[in-house]
Amino acid sequence: MADVVTGLLTATLCLMGVVFFLGGTVGLLRLPDLYSRLHPVTKGDTLGATTIILGLCFQSGFNPDTLKLFAIIAFLLLSSATCGHAIGRSAFVRKVRPWQTPAAAPRVEKREGESRGLEEA
Amino acid sequence: MKLRNAVASLALPAPLAVVLFALWGVFTGVTSWSGVALGAVTAYLIARISYGLLRRRLDPNLNVMMALRFPLFALVLFGEIVKANWDVLKRVFAPTMPISPRITSFDSFLSSDVAKTTLANCITLTPGTVTVELDGSRFYVHCLAREHEEELLKGRMERLVAWLFAEGPPDSRRIR
Amino acid sequence: MSRFLLAIAIALMLNALVCLYRVVRGPTAQDRLIGVNIINTSVLVVLLLSFFVADRPTMYLDIALVYALLNFIVTVALSRFLETGRKPLG
Repeated sequence: MADVVTGLLTATLCLMGVVFFLGGTVGLLRLPDLYSRLHPVTKGDTLGATTIILGLCFQSGFNPDTLKLFAIIAFLLLSSATCGHAIGRSAFVRKVRPWQTPAAAPRVEKREGESRGLEEA
Repeated sequence: MKLRNAVASLALPAPLAVVLFALWGVFTGVTSWSGVALGAVTAYLIARISYGLLRRRLDPNLNVMMALRFPLFALVLFGEIVKANWDVLKRVFAPTMPISPRITSFDSFLSSDVAKTTLANCITLTPGTVTVELDGSRFYVHCLAREHEEELLKGRMERLVAWLFAEGPPDSRRIR
Repeated sequence: MSRFLLAIAIALMLNALVCLYRVVRGPTAQDRLIGVNIINTSVLVVLLLSFFVADRPTMYLDIALVYALLNFIVTVALSRFLETGRKPLG
């Protein structure tokens, strides 16, 4: 009986995690620019990995292995936000301009023979 | 006197070494004498090397009350992470993709480095916002849509971090 | 149960394969880095899944732990490199 319950919990959490991962991937492919793509990576990915590892914790029972799994979860939660920040900063410092919806974007007149420099975001 | 100083400087990394050794013991489960000796020596060496770094970086204002407040803080943060994921999933899977990205900036009243770093990480984990740059006390945040920007500028997360680290003007520490 | 976990691992690997599109295509280096980051996280989770599938050799968990640390260091080091170019970090 207990086996069935933990098995169901593991299965549910793992499937949820796969859905989160899928969301991250779809976001990575569909979103228009670098900064927006950071959102699904820092969020979908982290929670996906966290839920799958939590599900595996139910599978392993209470022993030192579970402690290691929890250490990995804690580190993932800490590091992924920092990773997203580092990537975003490396683009922002280099003045990569964020994508805007066509309605909100300021109109830029194109002139012949003049290269447009990136303006400060 | 000189001898005492030398002994004291050797004993300084001891607490960190004990923590590292305990962690090592739990993780490896080695019981043989040679294994335990190796673990103890390694733990002490690592503590000795990293002690100088930690002493310079650790904020002297950290105290026990913050450690007690931390579980509640982590719980609120976890709720935010779940909300953020739901929001991103909804937006990403919607056929029209209702987003209007923008970069916004604001000045924070938090002063210590630890508090500012925590706030930057928390902003990244709340729905639709990613911190891209922190310059002094000015945060540059990329928002996925207008409502995220409005939610961010209400400063709920900032008050939560101020409450955790007991910083900023007293009336700002209430969580609403 | 181990078959189910294997299926989850295969799903994650297919997911990572799709991410490879952004790594190959991505207009900026940062886009590629984001794609690599997702693939790294998937590999970490697949390592943990294969720990349960392969009858729990402790080695896998240690490797996963180190992989998580390396993943973080690789991302931060690469984005620092993209930020400063070839100049030494100060």
